[in-house]
Amino acid sequence: MWLMYALLVPTLAVAAYGFYHRIKPWFVGKPLDRLDRPAQRIVRLLKLGLLQQKTIRERYAGFFHQMIFWGFIVLFIATTVVLIDYDFQVPIMRGAFYLYFQSFFVDVLGLLFLVGIALAGWRRWWFRPPALVYTKEASLILALLFVIGATGFLIEGWRIAATNDPWGAWSPVGNVIAKISRPLFSEDALLILHRSFWWLHMGTTFAFLAWAPYTKMAHVLLSPANIYLGNLDPIGGSLKPVDFESSEIFGVNSLAQFTWKDLADLDACTECGRCTASCPANNSGKPLSPRDIILDLQKLSRRGEPQAPLIGATVSLSSESLWNCTTCAACVEACPVSIEQLPKIIDLRRHLVMDQAEFPEMMQDALGSLENRGHPFRGTQATRLDWVGDLDIPEWGEGQTYDVLYWVGCAGALVERNQKTVRATAQLLKTAGVRFAILGRDEKCTGDLARRIGNEFLFETVAKENIERLQSLGVTKVVTSCPHCFNTFANEYPRLGGAFEVQHHSVFLADLVRNGRLKPSRAIEETVTFHDPCYLGRHNGEYDAPRELVQISIGKDPIEMPRSRERSFCCGGGGGLSFVEEPTDQRVSHRRAAEAVESGADTVAVGCPFCMTMLEDAVNAKSGDRPVKVKDVAEILWQAVNQQA
Amino acid sequence: MNIVVCLKQVLDPEIPARDFKINKERREAERGSANLVTSIFCANALETALQFRDIHGGKITVLTYGTVAAEDVLRKAIALKADDAVLVLNDQSSSPDPLQVASVLAAAIKKIDAVNLILVGRESADWGAGQTGGLVAEILGLPCLAFVDHIDLVDGSLRIRRQTETGRDVYMATPPIVLTITNDDHNLPRVPKTKDVMLSSRKPITKWSLTDLGIEPTPGYLKVAELGIPEKNTMCEFVDGETLDDKVATLARKIADVIQG
Amino acid sequence: MQDVLCVWFGSSGFDRSAEGLLGAGQRIAATTKGKLHSLVLGKGDNGSRAAAIADSVQIADQLSLDAYSPEEALAVITSVAKSLSPGAVLFANDAYSQELAPRLAYRLGGSAIGDAADVVAEGDILKVTRSVYGGKAVAVYHLERRPSVAWIRARAQAAATPRSTQAEIKHIATSADPNAATRLLERQTEAHEGVRLEDARWIISGGRGLGGPEPFEQLKELADTIGAQVAASRAACDAGWVPPSWQVGQTGKRVAPDLYLAVAISGASQHLIGIADAKVVAAINTDQHAPIFKHCQFGIVEDYKKVVSLLKEKLQALKG
Ligand SMILES: Cc1cc2nc3c(=O)[nH]c(=O)nc-3n(C[C@H](O)[C@H](O)[C@H](O)COP(=O)(O)OP(=O)(O)OC[C@H]3O[C@@H](n4cnc5c(N)ncnc54)[C@H](O)[C@@H]3O)c2cc1C
Ligand code: SF4
Ligand code: SF4
Repeated sequence: MWLMYALLVPTLAVAAYGFYHRIKPWFVGKPLDRLDRPAQRIVRLLKLGLLQQKTIRERYAGFFHQMIFWGFIVLFIATTVVLIDYDFQVPIMRGAFYLYFQSFFVDVLGLLFLVGIALAGWRRWWFRPPALVYTKEASLILALLFVIGATGFLIEGWRIAATNDPWGAWSPVGNVIAKISRPLFSEDALLILHRSFWWLHMGTTFAFLAWAPYTKMAHVLLSPANIYLGNLDPIGGSLKPVDFESSEIFGVNSLAQFTWKDLADLDACTECGRCTASCPANNSGKPLSPRDIILDLQKLSRRGEPQAPLIGATVSLSSESLWNCTTCAACVEACPVSIEQLPKIIDLRRHLVMDQAEFPEMMQDALGSLENRGHPFRGTQATRLDWVGDLDIPEWGEGQTYDVLYWVGCAGALVERNQKTVRATAQLLKTAGVRFAILGRDEKCTGDLARRIGNEFLFETVAKENIERLQSLGVTKVVTSCPHCFNTFANEYPRLGGAFEVQHHSVFLADLVRNGRLKPSRAIEETVTFHDPCYLGRHNGEYDAPRELVQISIGKDPIEMPRSRERSFCCGGGGGLSFVEEPTDQRVSHRRAAEAVESGADTVAVGCPFCMTMLEDAVNAKSGDRPVKVKDVAEILWQAVNQQA
Repeated sequence: MNIVVCLKQVLDPEIPARDFKINKERREAERGSANLVTSIFCANALETALQFRDIHGGKITVLTYGTVAAEDVLRKAIALKADDAVLVLNDQSSSPDPLQVASVLAAAIKKIDAVNLILVGRESADWGAGQTGGLVAEILGLPCLAFVDHIDLVDGSLRIRRQTETGRDVYMATPPIVLTITNDDHNLPRVPKTKDVMLSSRKPITKWSLTDLGIEPTPGYLKVAELGIPEKNTMCEFVDGETLDDKVATLARKIADVIQG
Repeated sequence: MQDVLCVWFGSSGFDRSAEGLLGAGQRIAATTKGKLHSLVLGKGDNGSRAAAIADSVQIADQLSLDAYSPEEALAVITSVAKSLSPGAVLFANDAYSQELAPRLAYRLGGSAIGDAADVVAEGDILKVTRSVYGGKAVAVYHLERRPSVAWIRARAQAAATPRSTQAEIKHIATSADPNAATRLLERQTEAHEGVRLEDARWIISGGRGLGGPEPFEQLKELADTIGAQVAASRAACDAGWVPPSWQVGQTGKRVAPDLYLAVAISGASQHLIGIADAKVVAAINTDQHAPIFKHCQFGIVEDYKKVVSLLKEKLQALKG
């Protein structure tokens, strides 16, 4: 027995050294407070860690991971119990506890553990899904875990057989092994087998324990830690500000320029590939892979050159890859261990834009226009008031007060198709008797585009101007038609001193319907599917209000596409990508449009002017002979409310 | 090589036509809510100079004749790493004609001294007279090539490529020379680095008056007698006719009218 | 106001541009009751047609375009102008002429303005109408000094009426300056046909409604009859019917032609951004509610298949 403890010491020492090595690179990172709000963090850990809420979203992998996860935990507890009972002489392995838990339950979970590993192996070696990373390490881990589990059962069975354990039946798997072994071996032979396999079992376990921290199995500890330290704010608010006063370099191009939490993220990755599997850019054949970004950064981090340049160091970190990100946050949402891929991508983009001044020409054009003209639509012949027409909508002047500022947005006012959406919204507000005004010609871009492309400096400049203007007018409540504007107001202006109450038009309109201020008078005879805008859904967690509007307008629930709500697939237009030309065969929008058309709906409902632009174009290309329309939820509601139309 | 790039600040040429208003009295555009920007061919000229300096070294001085607001185009050029900036203040109330502008720029270039290469946009985005380069060359007694899109240095001589109707001409030239720059896909203006934008506000700008240059205001040689906005028929006129043949004949006539001016 | 001097490069013969230039010169000379002189630079035009219009013709045929130097051309024109002392000097609006005109005005102590859509003499003053502010406004300039030098959109001017008598044609000697500061190394003629879309005067553009690559051949033939360039919407480029470099719009080329004829293009806002600077937009489309018609000066609601070849015939007939 002493030998075992003697061996445990170096094992733990090697393991501890491994962990230390894991953690050491984090210390080069910049500070960030991720220990605030402990209560929320514990809840998060319980949901995402213990209940595995994200892991189980993927059917097959979620299933076997559950088995391995619980098997591992229960076996771990059982081993600890044995330790306490036997070696510390604390008698807890007694009576019913012994029978139900220590024997029966542990046995069953042990079996599930083995089955889980077999299923994982089946997937890895047979199905070989592209999401996985294929390394010898991963294979060896599975093999070792299987050996540990299997030898565990063998020694249990042979113990039961050798000692004729009267309670053997309570360990069903062990009992079966005992029954098979008894006629084959003598009692002595069984004892020898037991003894030698016990050492084999312990040896493998110790070897595994010592080795694990050097492998992706470190996630057993690092993942829960990472979940605990995760971002508690909406994803839409997860970009960090840049300190322009004191930084010499803007954005990130070396590991040392990340925060410690960004570096910790790298080590929490389990290589599961869920992020890349859900990435629209990757799905449409582009070189971007959020998983590879994390893993490549991890490799670089272990190489121990915290100052080495990152951009261009690997394919995933090439600027070509980085410029394909639509900032849809599907990766962040998918990651079971709370890794934030998107903010890192933006950090790297910031460096490209602000420090190297190298980014796609079309994006340069858009930002140049934003800077000079307050909107990114270079060359547009539309003006901010074109959509108003005969509607008689007041412009918020100095000294006036209104209940609500209707923030129309550049894409709403200046792109012809979207003018119908904002017109419908304004007509609904008027019908409901809302006292609202617009800024008209004085409205300027919120700065979202600049921020997502990576020009934080331009973002801050326009954001501060906007905040100042709205505060001087005495605006307190804002309704936006664009989820990007909404996100900026909700999550980004407060930090710059601009706290406004803000709602997306779908939420505000749903309230008006609920309060009886808008009464749909006829149900529209259409089948509708709803496409979740990333910046309303994933970035801000609002999935229901737009569906409610569709439901009210057509008298039935919208048809759901296979990928909807949290798992919705981007239109391809975020992050400045609606301003660049994608290769014809790599359009994100075409993939989403195909899905929407296949849903069989007559109408694809959207809640974002960029989704409108991207999807209308793509639906036209994909719908074939069947006429499929794209409409904003506000237009659909206006159709239902307006008697004349 | 000592390079001077002349820059002009203009009313944003990309404002929608419907936002474009003119002041009939003063016979010029109304500023309205539009921004003032660097005229595009001037920006191409600066880019051409920057690329030349990237390879062959040298010093770039940006020069503008304008109001106090025109300092902005100089700041933007400094953010792109122009070495020096000179603003010749225009305190006249009316906008100057090409000869007046060229006289001032030529005097300033003389004062800057030892300049070998003078780059000017082929024409400005507002009035578009397209004369500044040629006139500066005449006043300074220098040779001039127009519509240049690329400059290189070969054995101390300039290798200059310029656009013509039928293709491109390549010249060898001995500086000093004045070149007017046109756009091509290689001289799209670059964007500045944020750090340089932040630093650009600290750099001093040389400000000269006409007195500093030792010149009197030159009388103009052109007068804008009338300025108007052409009536654009935004209502589409659908061609009419009894038969298809009639309709297409009308269409053809309308097209021919446009083509023949 | 007295005589008028028209100056052009002879390399492409007495072409439409020279016709229009002399036409404008003839009309001005008629109002000022002055003489019409002409000066041809370089070889290629023997002056015979000009001699039936102008009162004098001089040809500087020693000036070689293969060793072209603006300084040399300027010297010739200056000396001719000094000897004739015209009240107005007119050029066409090709690159070489634009380069020379303001410098000539300076040397002669005159005034210059260019890209004239219209030029008239009124009393003592030459008045030039031209667009400014990127076509958003039109200005009438008075040239305050003489000679008044203008380069004009010559092709858009009506041709001159010839007489039956011929003026004398004089050949003048020029000398290249061996110490000239500029020396022409080579002239590269563009491999691809025609001008760049961005510079094209007239554009005919096709969209998804054409349904395939073949109809673009028809558009090309139509374009050739009027010397226009062919472009396309993104939908047509995406379909692979034409190369991506033909795309006009927000993510394609921004063009500024005098005429943009959109055939089977709906007029999505991304497309319209590319043609914001077009002077006249016209469309052929089956759908009278297509957004393009909101941005057109004129249009026809018809199937392009019925219109395109017929239109070609009509335009050919009108032309000649
Ligand atoms: C980010 C982004 C950028 C974009 N950038 C550009 C860009 O730079 N340039 C661009 O063009 N587009 C661009 N688009 C695409 C744009 O939204 C439109 O989808 C595209 O312009 C449509 O092309 P179209 O008008 O040829 O096709 P459609 O919109 O399909 O129109 C076809 C037209 O042909 C007419 N028609 C059909 N048959 C006939 C017939 N027999 N005779 C006459 N008429 C007929 C129809 O009535 C219809 O109006 C962009 C889109 C996005 C999302
Ligand atoms: S944000 Fe979206 S596009 Fe960007 S890496 Fe993540 S999943 Fe891919
Ligand atoms: S980053 Fe997250 S989702 Fe992506 S592979 Fe790693 S653990 Fe999986």
